[in-house]
Amino acid sequence: MKIALYAMLVSSIALAEPGTVIRKTDLRDKPFLDSTVIGNVASDTPVDIRTRKGAWMEVKLSTGQTGWIKLLNVRTSSGSTSSSAALSNVIKTGSSGKTVTTGVKGLSAEQIENAVPNLAEVQKMKTYAASPGDAQLSAQNNQLRRVSVPEIAPTSVNSAPNNPNNNPMRR
Amino acid sequence: MKSILLATILGVSICSPVQALDLNKLLTGDNLNKSLSILSNAGDALSTSAKGLSAAQEESLGQSVMANLLGAEPLVNDAKLQRYVNQVGLWVAMQSSQPNLNWRFGVIDSPNINSFAATGGYILITRGLWDRLKTEAELAAVLGHEITHVTRKHHAKSIASAKGQQASSDLIALVVDYNNGKSGGKSLEKLGKAGSEVFIRGLDKNDEYEADINGMVLAARAGYNPYALVSVLQLLGNVSPADSSVALLFSTHPSPKDRLDNIDRVVGDKLEGYADGAETTKRFNQVKR
Repeated sequence: MKIALYAMLVSSIALAEPGTVIRKTDLRDKPFLDSTVIGNVASDTPVDIRTRKGAWMEVKLSTGQTGWIKLLNVRTSSGSTSSSAALSNVIKTGSSGKTVTTGVKGLSAEQIENAVPNLAEVQKMKTYAASPGDAQLSAQNNQLRRVSVPEIAPTSVNSAPNNPNNNPMRR
Repeated sequence: MKSILLATILGVSICSPVQALDLNKLLTGDNLNKSLSILSNAGDALSTSAKGLSAAQEESLGQSVMANLLGAEPLVNDAKLQRYVNQVGLWVAMQSSQPNLNWRFGVIDSPNINSFAATGGYILITRGLWDRLKTEAELAAVLGHEITHVTRKHHAKSIASAKGQQASSDLIALVVDYNNGKSGGKSLEKLGKAGSEVFIRGLDKNDEYEADINGMVLAARAGYNPYALVSVLQLLGNVSPADSSVALLFSTHPSPKDRLDNIDRVVGDKLEGYADGAETTKRFNQVKR
C-alpha cells in the first residue's frame, strides 16, 4: 500500500510539466483536427502536459479530464509571467558587455572573453565532419525523407511580438 | 579615398595590441562620424558575399571563432556523439540555401544551455542543451536555427552594425590584415576574439525570430516534425531565468515566450501538414543512452 502510494507520487512528479492555455481552445479526443471535440478549455487555464505528438499536446485538466490541444495554445514557464524582473537583470548585465554571471562553470560571457584559443580542438572537430553521401545514407537508414516545403517569410521588423493584443485568435 | 582613410585608421590597430586600444579614442567627434560611414560601407560589403568576405575569409573567421569557444571548453570526448551530430546537422543543412558549404558540427563540453554558429559553416551546441533534448526532431530544429544564422549571414550583419562598432573595426582591421597576408597566429587570435563578441552581445532580435521560422522549415524539409522547436522553447521556458545555465542564452535571445508568440503568429498552423514527420530515430536512441 505504502509502496503503491510512493510509486504514484513519483510518477506524478516525473510527468508533471505545468503549462497554461493562452487562448480558448477545443479539447479533442485525438491529436487530429477532425477528431471529436470532448470539451473546451478557457484562456489562462492551468494544465499538466502529459505528452506531445506532431503539432499537438496531451493535457490533463484540474478536473481530471484529459485530451489533446494544439501545442502553440500552451505556454510553459509558470504561465505568462516570465519573471521579467530577473530576466531584465540578466539582460542588463549582458548588454554591458561585462560578466553576465561570475564564478559560473560553463560557457559564461567571461569565459568566452578570456579563453585561450584552441586550434587543435577545431582540427579535431573537422575530423568528425560528415560527407553529403554519408548524411544522406544515414538519413535513409533512419526513415527520413526529404520533403518539399516552401519558405515562410518572417514578418516585418516592427511587428515583434511584445504586445499580446497583436495576437489575434486564429484557431 | 575612403579605402586610404580606412587603412590609415585601421593601420593603428594593426601595428600593436597596445595601440589597438587607442582605437576607442580615435572614434570620437569627426573621426567617429568618418569611421562610422566607413564602417557602414564596409558593413554593406560584409553582408553581401560578392564584395564581402571571401569563402576563405569566412572560413578563417569561423575557424578562429571556434578556436576561441573551444578554448573556453573542449568538445565532449565522445567520437560517436560528435559523428552523430554531424550526420544530423549536415542532413538538415543540405536542405538549406547552402547545401555545399563545408558544414561542421560539434557538442561542446559545457553544462550551460546554448548553441553557437560561426561563418564558414561551424556550429556547436552545448552538452547542457544536448542532455535536455528528447528527440532527434528537437536536435534538427535547434541545428536548423543555427544553420539559418550562417546562411543568412546574421553574424556579418551584426558585426557591421553600429551596436558593435569596436568589434566591427577590429574585425575589419583583421580582414585587411588577412588580405595583406599578415595573418599569423596572433591575428587569428584577435579575429577569434572580435568574432566571438557576437556571442556575448547577441544578434539582432529579428534575426533570432527569423532563424526560428526558417529552422522549422529546414527541419520539415529534412523529414522531421517542425513543431519540435516549440517543445524545445517550452523546455527553455521551464528553466528559471535566475538559473546560471541559461544566463548567456537569455541575455542574448528574446525570451522563450516571445519566441513562441512569434512562431504562433508567423507559422501558426502553416506547417501542420508536416507535423507527422519523424520525431526520433534509432540512431538518436543509440547515442542518447
